[in-house]
Amino acid sequence: MGSFNKAEQKAPILFLIISVVVTAVATMATVTFAMGDKPPATASKVSLTSMPAAGPTQPQVKSFAKVANPEIPPLAPLGPPPIPADNPMSDAKVALGKLLYFDPRLGGDASISCSTCHEPEQGWSFAEGISRGYPGTVHWRGSQPVLNSAYYNKLFAVGSTPSLESQAPSAARGGVAGNGENDIMEARLRLIPDYVNRFNDVFGEPWPTINNAWKAIAAFERTLVQRDTPLDKYLLGDKTALDDQQLRGKALYEGKARCILCHNGAFTTNEKYYNIGVPRATRWEEDGLAQVTFRFEQYAKGTTEEMYRNIKDDAGLYYRNKNKWSMGKFRVPSLRYTKYTAPFMRQGQFYTLEEVIDFYDRGGFDEEGRTTSFPETKTPLIQKLGLSDEEKEDLLFFIEALSGDEILMDKPKLPPYKPLFSQAELQTAQAAK
Amino acid sequence: MVAIVTTRHCFLAVTLGVSLAIAGQAVAAPEIGPLPVLKVNEARAELGKRLFFDKRVSGDVGISCATCHEPENGYANKDALSKGYPGNKHFRNAPGLINTAHKKVWMHDGRIGTNLNDVTREMITEDYIMNMDMRIMQERFKQDPLYVEMFKAAGLGEPSNGGVRKAIPEYLKTLTSRGAPFDKGTMSASAKRGMKLFKGKAGCVACHNGPVFTDGNAYNTGVKENFDVWLDPQRHQAFIAYAAFMGIKNYMNLKRDPGAHLQKHAADGSDMGRFITPSLRELKYTAPYMHNGMSKTLADVVAFYNRGGDNDRNKNARIKPLKLGKTEQQDLVVFLLALSGEPLTGSKHVWLKAYPTEYPVIANWLNVPN
Repeated sequence: MGSFNKAEQKAPILFLIISVVVTAVATMATVTFAMGDKPPATASKVSLTSMPAAGPTQPQVKSFAKVANPEIPPLAPLGPPPIPADNPMSDAKVALGKLLYFDPRLGGDASISCSTCHEPEQGWSFAEGISRGYPGTVHWRGSQPVLNSAYYNKLFAVGSTPSLESQAPSAARGGVAGNGENDIMEARLRLIPDYVNRFNDVFGEPWPTINNAWKAIAAFERTLVQRDTPLDKYLLGDKTALDDQQLRGKALYEGKARCILCHNGAFTTNEKYYNIGVPRATRWEEDGLAQVTFRFEQYAKGTTEEMYRNIKDDAGLYYRNKNKWSMGKFRVPSLRYTKYTAPFMRQGQFYTLEEVIDFYDRGGFDEEGRTTSFPETKTPLIQKLGLSDEEKEDLLFFIEALSGDEILMDKPKLPPYKPLFSQAELQTAQAAK
Repeated sequence: MVAIVTTRHCFLAVTLGVSLAIAGQAVAAPEIGPLPVLKVNEARAELGKRLFFDKRVSGDVGISCATCHEPENGYANKDALSKGYPGNKHFRNAPGLINTAHKKVWMHDGRIGTNLNDVTREMITEDYIMNMDMRIMQERFKQDPLYVEMFKAAGLGEPSNGGVRKAIPEYLKTLTSRGAPFDKGTMSASAKRGMKLFKGKAGCVACHNGPVFTDGNAYNTGVKENFDVWLDPQRHQAFIAYAAFMGIKNYMNLKRDPGAHLQKHAADGSDMGRFITPSLRELKYTAPYMHNGMSKTLADVVAFYNRGGDNDRNKNARIKPLKLGKTEQQDLVVFLLALSGEPLTGSKHVWLKAYPTEYPVIANWLNVPN
């Protein structure tokens, strides 16, 4: 509760209680660091400094990791994304989803589409720390990259929705995002003859429905994947795909720099939630509009009156489960395609990957020594790394090898509205009244 | 309170008097007369005035209440069909708001018959009208030091959604007719002849009665549809959203405005096309007329009733040809104009000061409570 002005005096007592709990849990010796919600137990015992470079099979990684977690999935080539059984792919559905993704009529005032905040040329994201938000507002977090989002089990910075199909409406309807309502967005689709035909072809229903629109968008998003990065090529057998420097970076990633502890598996994330020490976004101290949205989010997410009055940072996972151990925790993001998705962290606290590496190297502090507003939940997995400048550069080059070529896309020409009835039909109806 | 009781007694008389009205005879209806004086909380009304003209009340800060309810047009609008929220357009005429605080039923379809607090919420939050998440609105106003001051002065604490819904209705109380020849007793001879027709041969008073000139009931008078509702997809989309939300059957094929059908949903559709009797005060400023702006002038309106309305199988039996002569029609128009007072366009009713162009940053944000 460190950031709660009124709670600060209570904090030492609270922390004492927490410490007791931690100790008790730790002595049970069965806690793994991956239990994002609970205080990590004995991570300080993990020693990575003597880790040799690890190959794809990584027996060494397993040997150090078993202290904390016996199963760290190794880096691996990315396979095709999972396709849910209730929303099978088809070319026609993807083509429809692409149009809808770029169509601002799926927003409150028909001026803002999915692509407005998830722009292909901005890494399928938005190149500001805090996303632009609906006209008249600003958002309070950065846009998540849509590219590769098909691999996440849960979407949004704290995993608020379980599928792309449910993510799209949350974004399209959120007051500081799309601010659209289902009924009018659906009505708009029904007055666009090309959409009426396409929805009918794809879903076999007489009229477009808003739920089918989200399905089509999700199907389109499942085509926005990148599986041919230098790392993928290397892991599939092309040993020339990574140069020596990148291989040194890979060894650091899997060893001394500790990245693999969370950014593991083919998708480079364990999708768990941690507080890694990212400091508060400074924008909230400097921008009145951002202050408006900050309070709105506290109100909208169902915090207590005391929290609404006193909180001064994004409490992350806490908003979902209202568990104080979730304060300041966020879902581990994939590191794929990050070459194009700056800035980084939930509110774009860092503008470059170099800054991100420096942040981790310092053990979760920025260059001014700032760290999380919720120190009691900061994961002990984050430690000073002691990387040399050369090692930092090696690591950076390897992380860049998690991105392939930039994936761009021209905005499609959108189909126009057309009146549903002719003048003659209306006259006939008038005469028959 | 006395006035209200009287109105209710007379309301019974109206119902009983329907058959008389059909026969075109004088009707025992609540007396037309001056409006009661409403007690106004000045600080609250002043706050409501600032809110009424503030675009920050809408989702994308594109429109204010006054965008569609313009002071110079009797707090109505010259457009036959209202503007609505950016991205769509509306499918009905914006009603004038002068004397709205004296009404008991609101909206052309009467879907809100409780109080102006609810009407205010409906206007602000409805997606095709102002599309505002009021939780965001509340935080916007907490970020405006003048609002913080005005809410407090109005006894409403810090800026809140509930406070907005109290202040705007308080302001609307100040929009009360004043200085109409009818109220001042300065009507011309022609207007007086018109009033006699109004109460007698023309039968208007059967529905347009009481101080506000409305009985608050819904009738089908046979107004033609305004095809622009359907020919403009931006209007039609709002209409579809509305009809779907209101549970109107077969709303995709609907080519008429269902009006107050949404109140009882008669299975045979016989209540389709009923609209709440509008007030006849301040018509001088509020052209065009009818729920869909289909009558451009008061002469058109009188001509419409004189021919017994237009075709509609659901048309109320009260609506019959009136057989008014040309002079009689003119007299009726002159009487209707005598129900309009001075325009409410000065600083007493209109917020003329500029609004801030941005939200000032709260200094020392980390150390002050939100």
